[in-house]
Amino acid sequence: MARMAGRRVLLAVPVLLLVTFGVFAVAAASPFDPVTAYTGTAGLTASQENLDQIRANLGVDQPFTARWADWIAGALRGDLGDSAVLRMPVADAVAERLGWSVLLAAAAFALAVLLGTAFGVLAARRPGGPLDRCATAIAYTLEAAPAFWLGLLAIWLFSLQWGVLPAGGLTDTASDTVTAGQVARHLVLPAAVLGISQLPWFYLYVRQGVGDALDEDPVRGARARGLAERTVLLGHALRSGMLPMLTLIGSRVPELITGALLVETVFSWPGIAAATVQAATAVDFPLLAALTVLATAAVLLGNLLSDLLYGLADPRVGFDG
Amino acid sequence: MTGRSLRAASAAALAAALLLGAAACTAPSGGGTRAADGGTAVVGIAYEPDTLSPLLGYGKDGNSKIFDGLLAHDADMRLRPALAAELPEVSPDGLTYTYTLRRGVTFQDGEPFDAEDVVFTYRTILDEKTNNPSRAELDALRGVRAEGSHTVVFTLAYPYAPFAQRTVLPIAPEHIAGRQDVNTGKFTTEPIGTGPYILTGWSRGEKLSFKANPHYWGGEPQVERFTMAVIQDDDVRATRLRAGDLDGAVLPPALAEGFARDRNLRTHRATSYDYRTVTLPTGNPVAGDTAVRRALDIAVDRQAMVDGILNGAGRPAYGPVPTGSPWFTAGTERRHDPEAARRILDEAGWKPGKDGIRTRDGVRAAFPLWYVTGDKLRQDHALAYASDARSIGIDITTQAGSWEVIEPRMKDDAVLAGGGAPGDPDFDQYLLLHSDHAGDGFNNMARYDNPAVDEALEQGRRAGDEAARRRAYDTVQRELAKNPGYTFLTHIDHVYVLADTWDGLSTQVEPHDHGLASGPWWNVETWTPKGAAR
Amino acid sequence: MADRRPVPFAAPAVWRSRGGTRRSTRTLRIAASAAVLVCVALAVLVVPPAVDLDQQAVDLPSKLLPPSAAHPFGTDDVGRDLLLRCVYGLRVSLVVGLVAALAATVIGTAVGAAAAALGGWTDRLLMRLVDTFSSVPHLLLGIFVVAMFRPGLWPVVVSVAVTHWLSTARIVRAEVLSLRSRPYIDAAVSGGAGRLRVAVRHLLPGVLPQAGLAAVLMVPHTMWHESALSFLGLGLPTHQASLGNLVQTARGSLLAGHWWPTLFPGLFLIVPTLAVAGLAGAWRERLNPRRRAELTL
Repeated sequence: MARMAGRRVLLAVPVLLLVTFGVFAVAAASPFDPVTAYTGTAGLTASQENLDQIRANLGVDQPFTARWADWIAGALRGDLGDSAVLRMPVADAVAERLGWSVLLAAAAFALAVLLGTAFGVLAARRPGGPLDRCATAIAYTLEAAPAFWLGLLAIWLFSLQWGVLPAGGLTDTASDTVTAGQVARHLVLPAAVLGISQLPWFYLYVRQGVGDALDEDPVRGARARGLAERTVLLGHALRSGMLPMLTLIGSRVPELITGALLVETVFSWPGIAAATVQAATAVDFPLLAALTVLATAAVLLGNLLSDLLYGLADPRVGFDG
Repeated sequence: MTGRSLRAASAAALAAALLLGAAACTAPSGGGTRAADGGTAVVGIAYEPDTLSPLLGYGKDGNSKIFDGLLAHDADMRLRPALAAELPEVSPDGLTYTYTLRRGVTFQDGEPFDAEDVVFTYRTILDEKTNNPSRAELDALRGVRAEGSHTVVFTLAYPYAPFAQRTVLPIAPEHIAGRQDVNTGKFTTEPIGTGPYILTGWSRGEKLSFKANPHYWGGEPQVERFTMAVIQDDDVRATRLRAGDLDGAVLPPALAEGFARDRNLRTHRATSYDYRTVTLPTGNPVAGDTAVRRALDIAVDRQAMVDGILNGAGRPAYGPVPTGSPWFTAGTERRHDPEAARRILDEAGWKPGKDGIRTRDGVRAAFPLWYVTGDKLRQDHALAYASDARSIGIDITTQAGSWEVIEPRMKDDAVLAGGGAPGDPDFDQYLLLHSDHAGDGFNNMARYDNPAVDEALEQGRRAGDEAARRRAYDTVQRELAKNPGYTFLTHIDHVYVLADTWDGLSTQVEPHDHGLASGPWWNVETWTPKGAAR
Repeated sequence: MADRRPVPFAAPAVWRSRGGTRRSTRTLRIAASAAVLVCVALAVLVVPPAVDLDQQAVDLPSKLLPPSAAHPFGTDDVGRDLLLRCVYGLRVSLVVGLVAALAATVIGTAVGAAAAALGGWTDRLLMRLVDTFSSVPHLLLGIFVVAMFRPGLWPVVVSVAVTHWLSTARIVRAEVLSLRSRPYIDAAVSGGAGRLRVAVRHLLPGVLPQAGLAAVLMVPHTMWHESALSFLGLGLPTHQASLGNLVQTARGSLLAGHWWPTLFPGLFLIVPTLAVAGLAGAWRERLNPRRRAELTL
């Protein structure tokens, strides 16, 4: 087991290297000039000598393979370069914002798992019943609905029409003090929207899993023995139906990141996903590169977690990788 | 920054705490409170300056916060003394301006301010090697010298009537700025002046932070910490204002309306010289044609734009001079008359084709109109203009792009542009309409070339006599009606929404550039907390 | 490792009702889905040339009118009819989606076929590449590509295409591998045909139906992807009004309290997606009625 995990981690290294290399290669092929990005409109009046100096300072006069190697070396020391748009070291920006993104994602995930399980079990109990059909139709609709659209409609309803929840941001005032109450209030809408955008998958999975389990012999046997419906559902069907879903949580990381990119932007949530969009708009390469690599690492970690859980849950699966 | 690390550290703890209490978490009642505590104010602006050095053009129209000029504008745009002890003495021939300086003023680093700093500032700006894009504004200035430590004498090449208005430009400290490269030195990002606020941080693209200057010669400001958050996107600014992240922000009128019902917020409307116009490049075979220009000029429904796009916060524009200005030539208003526009085009030989678009000698009456991506007001103006043009058989395709995309195309393609400066009619009419400035950066973007206008602009600039100047600018406006190389659309009011926690807020008549200097915070140094008198 | 990651819209694979197939509901669902898609096709192909209405026609006095008989979807903030705007937006989004899906299918088929036909090191290398690509969240990769090449039509198409070829590559590879074991391929190989020749002449025609189906199923994804990019301001320029751009520009109106400019473009994205998913699900069920729905592709 530990050997398998170790092997997977080792295998992740070339993937990460390849991704960073690709990132630098794309940037090198881009028609975009980092010096222009750095100087902005001031660059229009700056002297050539000055621009050359900036070019050398930024290190962009070297071939991209050299810059890539430099970047890797720096990253190993914890130095990810400086962000032009946030005007601070990338590592600091990530440290400052990662917590908020994790908070949002964790809350959303918790919501999606809880609601998905609850509705999934209820729907599986009476397949084809009104609740099942209703919930399933809603699930498909939500699956097809873009998260940013849901977010905007939520802002309209809860912030503008009813005025019960804040429309965005992290805290109420410009003050630097962050209180849990304020954050909780500001977290509700973004977490709910992100959670709901993840919900259909969990719901459909649990519904399928529990439904299948109800058809299987052990459950039929339990029913035949006259066990209470509740016990059958929660004790047997839910357990066997939910296990595969739980093990696959790790593989939902890419969808979660995609959702976070949109939701954090809609709600001005100060996390790393919103920073990614800002970095992209301003063509802030150091920040964008670091965040892309970070997201890739998160995906690989999620896959690893999911494989480990899968192996734990189902001893038939060997750990041969 | 302690606030930041605090946030980061607390985030992880909060994550755990909130997850545990997720089910029980209820929204506390009462809603957000906008605190004026500790004398802080955070406002959202759309654009930040490229530089903070007055030598490179920062704050040239006053209200620079960090610096003072010799003179300053009051709420009604009248000149009042600032670093000068009184208004200047002007010689009878209008060629010599003498300023007596205020005594006992120090820079923020404690060094005294004197006449040498003034001379240094003006001489550096006049120097060709200084990258100051607005040097042309001091075109009339021939020399500046100090007489003793507290008197400065300016001599002009010709009697330039609005010269005193130009001396609101901020004074830089010679002992700091004089020792560095003027174009790239540290002073351009870490300025030190005599003004009411000290810059404490500038993170480009994010915010400028200031703290009150305790030794300000005009008295220490009561707003102790003042932050300007730079947020280009109107929607994001509105969201963050709604979220309480900002105490105030500049907003497009339509968005500001959404805050009208909020009792904690007040809307301030500033009238302005800020126009929106369509450049009709002389080099374009369609847009350069006088008949097309005149037809477009009367085909646009300006009042509909004011009502529909600006929600009434503005006025129709017929030229750079607003209709409410004393310099406006009555009778040059144009009536919305699409029928007459069609007649003009018919007579000039532009015949409608099968698709309703006119052609003449094989030339289709069509051209592109560019606007800056993300600028909602310009986008809406452009769409409305194209729609009006279509109704008289001219096909205008609206296209969005960044300035880098638009700039190389300005010679041949129309652009939805903006501009305007209060103070004196010379200020932007000369740069906008004079053929000397055709194609000179963003000055005369349409490459408008009309000898009669050139001549009148020269007269207006050099004539010392008020009546002669008035005649000259009347000529400019009448000529512009005959050959409208730009279709002026609207003068827009600038709308600001601010938390109602301070007294002393007012607005000036504003120029096109409104970011840091204009807005109700033009005089933030004189604001007082509401209810402070209690 | 088998790829167990579900595709973002798992809908096609699980679109079936439990508890036995109810013929009537299924027929109804197929009919409804088909009707929606026919409507979409009509709206996109026929309406613009047939209806003599200018979607750009600004009518300032009638701005932000709520839905009514004259304007079923209401008007936007410069008085343009939203129904017409949505139809045109759908057209733009659909074209971008189709082109990107086509490009992704070509890339995916080429990579998948090459990996399976050539086998050995090439196969391992190409599949490693596929794994690497699938480790970067799609939207993020798309954002990165667009940011580096400036927002515009082609960068968006490229960024959508480079993120969507992976599943096609896997499908095609699997299909080719299964075809390769069939007797007539063996005959061709023993007849002296080269590997590449066999791949192009015999294997490719066999996988095209599968690849085609994957391409059709991909279109909702690519449309969604384009909309998300446009919404973030990293997609098409605002004068090429796609559905994502419509939502993006409606944001201001929404903050001023008007919901309809935001609501309808979103529905235009959702309804065709559901229709495609519905048809695909029915098709799959017919193909393999006894198979338990599973969430993997």
